[in-house]
Amino acid sequence: MLGVLSAVWVFVETLNAHPRNSGRIRTAALVVTLCMAGAWVLGGHWYLHFYPADKALILHGPWPFAHNLFMETKEHLFLLVLILSLYLPIAAWENLHANAAARKLVLWVALLIGVNGLAIESFGAVVNHAAKIALSSPIGKGAP
Amino acid sequence: MEAGTPELGGAARAFAIAAATAILFNTVLACVKDAHKPLQIFMASLTGSDWTTQGIADVALFAFLGLILWKSNLTKNIRPAGIIFSLAGTTIIAGAGLFAWYALY
Repeated sequence: MLGVLSAVWVFVETLNAHPRNSGRIRTAALVVTLCMAGAWVLGGHWYLHFYPADKALILHGPWPFAHNLFMETKEHLFLLVLILSLYLPIAAWENLHANAAARKLVLWVALLIGVNGLAIESFGAVVNHAAKIALSSPIGKGAP
Repeated sequence: MEAGTPELGGAARAFAIAAATAILFNTVLACVKDAHKPLQIFMASLTGSDWTTQGIADVALFAFLGLILWKSNLTKNIRPAGIIFSLAGTTIIAGAGLFAWYALY
């Protein structure tokens, strides 16, 4: 979520690109990269070590599509956002205040990171809710 | 805001095309590994998880292809609008493609 907020920061700063805020734009772009790389490592660790139990629960619960559709899409959509986040500082290192094409490119990349990031967050909410529903179902309560 | 020059730098051009390629590769690999389980098992055997292997492959493709395109200057004739269209178009198609694949598969 911090990565998405930083992408919004990059977007707004780029809309008002000026020599005075070029340093801020580059800093914000690097923050996006660091946040998304951190999410890859930390979220990946959680996904690989702790999610399998939730996955089993969800697949046996009333909302198995939460894993089959939303989690599967989410985990691969994140890699797409990761690539865009790695690219963002490279584009942001252009002289945005003097280069309309570079400005447009950075705006597009920041927008795509923000929109896809929000989609990933909302998919996560569906998965989270599916786990709660499964826990309150007879299987989650330990019924045979 | 000034109107400014319409040109993009070499690194921005090269890594944009590399990013578009890696994004497309990510979606194709996600579909192929699901449809072809031996590939998924092979990918999992490399790092312990097929998702980890896929992420590393995506990042490696982006980095190496970007460096190659940058150093060889192969993207110098691509117009800025083409670069932006390629990256944005690929991202939208790849994202929608992932959702459609898992919805239908």
